[in-house]
Amino acid sequence: MDTVLTVTDLGKSFKNKRVIEDISFEVKKGEIMAVLGPNGAGKSTTIRNIMGIMYPDEGTVQFRGYRPGEVPRPKIGYLPEERGLYKNVKVMDMILYLAELKDYPLKKAKQRALDYLKKLGLEGKGNVSIEELSKGMGQKVQFIGSIIHEPELLILDEPFSGLDPVSQEVFKTEIQELANNGTAILLSSHQMNMVEQVCDRLFMMNRGKRVIYGTLEDVKNQYANFKCTIKGRNDRHILESIPQVQRVESREEATVLYLEQDIQPAAWLRTLPDHLQIQELSIDRISLHEIFIDVATDNHSQLFIGKGEGVHA
Amino acid sequence: MRNSLKVARWEIRRNLKSKSFLISLISTPIIFMLLSFGSALFNKDSKEMVTVHVLDEIGVYEQIVQVATKNELNWNVQRTDANETEFPKLVKEQDQSAYIALTQEGLENGTIYVYMSQDTPARFLLETRVLEEPLRQQQLAQLELTDKQMSVIGKGIQMEAVSSGEEAATAGAGPDKADRMKKLIPGAVAGMVLFSIVMTGMMIFTSASQEKKEKVAEIVLSSVTTTELMQGKIIGYFVLGITQVMVWMLFLIPLALWKMDFPLLEYLLVPEMLVLLFIALTGYLLFSAIFVSIGATVEDMSSTSNFQGMIMTIPFIPVVFLGPLLSDPNGLVAKVLSFVPLTAPSVLIFRLSQLEQWPWMEIIIAIAVLIFSIWLAMKAAGKIFKIAILMYGKNATPKEIWKWLWA
Repeated sequence: MDTVLTVTDLGKSFKNKRVIEDISFEVKKGEIMAVLGPNGAGKSTTIRNIMGIMYPDEGTVQFRGYRPGEVPRPKIGYLPEERGLYKNVKVMDMILYLAELKDYPLKKAKQRALDYLKKLGLEGKGNVSIEELSKGMGQKVQFIGSIIHEPELLILDEPFSGLDPVSQEVFKTEIQELANNGTAILLSSHQMNMVEQVCDRLFMMNRGKRVIYGTLEDVKNQYANFKCTIKGRNDRHILESIPQVQRVESREEATVLYLEQDIQPAAWLRTLPDHLQIQELSIDRISLHEIFIDVATDNHSQLFIGKGEGVHA
Repeated sequence: MRNSLKVARWEIRRNLKSKSFLISLISTPIIFMLLSFGSALFNKDSKEMVTVHVLDEIGVYEQIVQVATKNELNWNVQRTDANETEFPKLVKEQDQSAYIALTQEGLENGTIYVYMSQDTPARFLLETRVLEEPLRQQQLAQLELTDKQMSVIGKGIQMEAVSSGEEAATAGAGPDKADRMKKLIPGAVAGMVLFSIVMTGMMIFTSASQEKKEKVAEIVLSSVTTTELMQGKIIGYFVLGITQVMVWMLFLIPLALWKMDFPLLEYLLVPEMLVLLFIALTGYLLFSAIFVSIGATVEDMSSTSNFQGMIMTIPFIPVVFLGPLLSDPNGLVAKVLSFVPLTAPSVLIFRLSQLEQWPWMEIIIAIAVLIFSIWLAMKAAGKIFKIAILMYGKNATPKEIWKWLWA
């Protein structure tokens, strides 16, 4: 796949405070790449530096076919985290203004806007004032505004926040469709279930630095070890003495055994003591959500043991 | 620049579709017209014709008709043969009428009785004072004086001021009203242009603040640079200001041509007008740079600090000096204020509309100072706007703004 965006060693400081440091990643044509991290990790600053809204102190941002630092604004679509549209204008006027700013033909933009309004359940709302729309509807209009000009690179900062589950599903489908049609998508979100469903690769950062970078599959293979959840009353010492158990967490009715990397689930199950009380047992991988929480709470040193091929930590 | 023009077009379209802007666009000239011509519209006095019946026992009827015509009085003068004793009754029977008894007895006593109907305007009695001179002439004629003696005594003595200095030499015939209007009219129009574009310029403050409040800045800035956004707003609101002036002119010029008896268009289409309009433009650029940058520091207009509120009053600083400016448009205060960038545009326009001779050297230096100030203000505005427009959640403090200037 062609690389649409290359970010190399990006660094930015505000008042002597390093906000981001040595940030490097690529976004390829037709892929959905997630930028993840807790609040204040530096995601929005990274995005603003890519967009040319801010300028990095170090490093470069390079778009395919352009010199480093040159931002081809008409080829980028952007849905910022801070949602906003002019309140006292009509929906269609707002979308067409955003298309005009991107040098996109207005006639074509109008047709696309009508199509997307219909697709996102806003048919007939073109002449409605934005202040009359609900928050979710406004977000859909803003989403349309970000893709109206058929961008090569689409940057979505928290696209699912504030949406009801139905709208989230609509957005998810639309994002996947755009990627299938060749748009490179950089997506920042806190909704890990959504990220797991739509993203091909992810870049997780904390305190302005890279923590994990790789394909979702590799990340899960390398960092998302298996965990075994057992429902039943058992002595903690017995559980801790089971081979290849990294740590034990007791919850209300169940105990979770976090297993070491590279275990073979079937073989490991055979190592369980016969006298173990088991009412229910499940074995699955640690979710991205749990990885995220561990990163955000600085527990990842316990979780991530090694570096996998194609995955960087 | 292309992107700036796109932003400008958007601001123009958005405002021209806004009900509040359209209402103010139309209502302002209407209010202005009502204020300007209100007295004429409501004061029927000055329009309505009064039928003046003259009982002429002393042979001055023809002179009275001439005096009324010469002074453009709305009098319909008619001779009457009725007796003075009937006047109170007659005057009750006729609307807008007056009876004047020019009797020998009245002339000798020095008191002429004027009988007016109830609806006769109050100004009428004042107007009858124009009759004093022919009646005094008549009084004197009866004293058998020579024509020259009568003319000298009848004229009386009046005091007339003659200004000193440069103009004194040419003031022999007194100031020419037409010449004064030639300066005053372009000055008044340039002042109106400055007022209008500065007022719409103030809308930039709201627009920049709204951009932040409605959190649109970031999405717009993904397509244009901060400088382009700022420039677009300045250009857009300039066009709106000019549009406003054009609409005002459309209302006011035909009305002025109809109501006033001087060649308005001839006075407007003079080379001096270009200089005055250029000064108005410099004023707009200076104030708009200040408004757009400070507007970007305000997210919540209702909690705007005194500092930001004070910024809005900057264009009105010259009002404080109105007294010295009016009393001497070429005095020290006026000269100093011409070189202070924040007061220069309006003070220059005011002075130049008053002065017979334009001080060209002063004008050139003042405009040079203004242009340099605009360059500085735009540079500073760019720095403030760039940081402030993306700072959400609070209004910037003067300390922060100061820091950004030097960042």
